[in-house]
Parts: sequence; structure tokens; C-alpha cells
Amino acid sequence: MKLYLYGIIDSSNQIEESIYGLEGTGVYNIPFCDIGAVVSEINQPIQEVTEGTVLEHEAVVEKLATDFTILPVRFQTIIDGRDNLLSMMQSYYKDFKDNLERLHNKLEFGIKVIWPADKIKENIIKTLKKGKQKNPESNNSQSKKFMTEKFEKYKIDKEFQTKADKFIKVMEIFFSKFAAEKKLRKLKTENLLLDAVYLVEKSQESNFREAFEHIKSGQPSLKYLFSGPWPAYNFVILSKQSGLLTDSQKTDLLDKVTQDQMLVGADSI
Amino acid sequence: MNSVVVKSKEITLLEVLDRVLDKGVVISGDMVISVADVDLVYLKLKVLLSSVETIEKLRGSPFVGPMQEAR
Repeated sequence: MKLYLYGIIDSSNQIEESIYGLEGTGVYNIPFCDIGAVVSEINQPIQEVTEGTVLEHEAVVEKLATDFTILPVRFQTIIDGRDNLLSMMQSYYKDFKDNLERLHNKLEFGIKVIWPADKIKENIIKTLKKGKQKNPESNNSQSKKFMTEKFEKYKIDKEFQTKADKFIKVMEIFFSKFAAEKKLRKLKTENLLLDAVYLVEKSQESNFREAFEHIKSGQPSLKYLFSGPWPAYNFVILSKQSGLLTDSQKTDLLDKVTQDQMLVGADSI
Repeated sequence: MNSVVVKSKEITLLEVLDRVLDKGVVISGDMVISVADVDLVYLKLKVLLSSVETIEKLRGSPFVGPMQEAR
């Protein structure tokens, strides 16, 4: 029997709500110690990745996120049988537990900021030209001309980066108060000034949204894409030691899995 | 359904795909039945996600005026 895995939750209890996953089969929790792996049974791996199947996966994760802290598992993770799943849970238990504790009561938000790179560069060139008129230079030789052009380009790029840094710094002043963690990517492309994800305490959600609105109104010439709240897809950190627990750690964990827990899981099949 | 809602949904779908196909817990090991197609799909999608032009096209608005939020 193959098990399609949606996520790891901070509960070993069965899910009270009826949730249906891929292929329309029921979703249930397989407990391991004090956490659980949420799965549904599946006949064969999905042959085609479609919008529908991706959305079905996400819908299950979203539903679980309303009642539990969840570590969303990547789409199309299928485990070959219950024994293998429990073995996987044993290997990753410490990582899962640490992440569940860290991400408890937290939400993820995505923010993309787009700026008109061409216009920004045009303005930089204009400003640099103004400065240049005050200090005219003669560039007669080819090599000197080449070097001057290179230097001009360097100055434009540097100023472009400085402007991006300045904007991100302002954003950080507002968001750092409300975000527990963040991942920022500056200038992924010239127009995509910032591609960021923030991890926010549930209690800070409204403050975070307010800060975003404040930034948006302060820079109306830029475009903003705000998304969320999401389960913390971007903030699960697995250590390199996963699956490589020492023998004593494995014994400790096996001791924690009581016969009762195994039976509760078995009943739900 | 008006066009703004449709565009917002399309942008949200890109955000969903980015997360579901590429982020979250990646479990490795023999017990996992691997399906290589997902990586291939995501590689194609990544180009789309990095493309501001795509977002612009979905939004269909110039660099002025109020912004639309995806969700």
C-alpha cells in the first residue's frame, strides 16, 4: 500500500474533520511519538502534474494548518507502506520536532516588489551626466574612452544596487518589528527588486499587514504582490543529520513509540 | 467573474505552484517512491516565476496607479 504524504503535524491524534485528498480518498494521521504524518492511500504515483492535483495537495495542507502546526511536505512524496513511513519518521523525528516547535503559531507571507528598472537607470544616468558636466574630461584615446565607458557602467550599476539596498533597508525597518524570520532575494531580475518571504507570529499578522500598507502607500510608483497567509513552506529547515541518528538516539525514539500508538494508527487503515 | 479576480487567482496559482512543487519538507531515502517529473515541471515554472513580464502580463497594468493584491 502506498501512502501519499501531505505534511507532518504536531499531534498524534486522529483528525476529527473529514478531509479528502488526492484520488478522493480519506486523509488520516499516522502517529509517531507526539507528532504525526498526515497521509492518504494512493494506488499509483500521479503520472501528470496538473493544476488540479497541485491544488488538491495544497487544499489538504491549508485545512490541516487551521487546526495544527504543519510542516508541509513537497508535492508527490509517496512512501511505500506504513513500515517505511514509520522508519522515515524515526529518522527525521528530531528535525520535525524542532521545526514544529519553531513554527508553532506562525504564518508565512510572500512579498514581491517590482520596480521600473529602465526608468531608474535612466534617472541615474541623467544625474551622473549632470555631475559630469561640472567636471568635463577629454577622452581622446580609444583605451581611455573604453575605460571611461566601463567606469560609467560600473557607477550606474553601483548606484542601481545602492537604490535597491536603500529601499530594502526601509522595508526592513518596518517589518523587522513583526517578522520572526525572513528570506530576502534582492534583484532576482532587474525589475524584480525584492522577492521576500516572512515568518510572522499569528498575533502579529495585523501589524505586519499594516506595515505593508504603510510601505505601499509610501512608494506608490512601485508594484507590490502580497500573498498569504501560507503554511510555512519556506521556513522548514532540515539538518544534514536527518536519517543518520546514532544507535542510542534510535533506541530512545523506539522506546517512545508505544504499542498503543502503533495500534491507534493501525485502526485508521 | 471580473478580470481582476481572474488575474489575482492566476498570480496566486503561481505562488501555490512555487511552494507546493519546490518548498516544504523534502524527504530522501529508499522508502520514498521518487517521481522525477516534478523537478522537470518546476524547472519550467521557475523561469515563469522569475519573469516579471509574466506577472505584468497577468496583472495587465502599467507602472502607475494602485496595486492589486493576490490574496
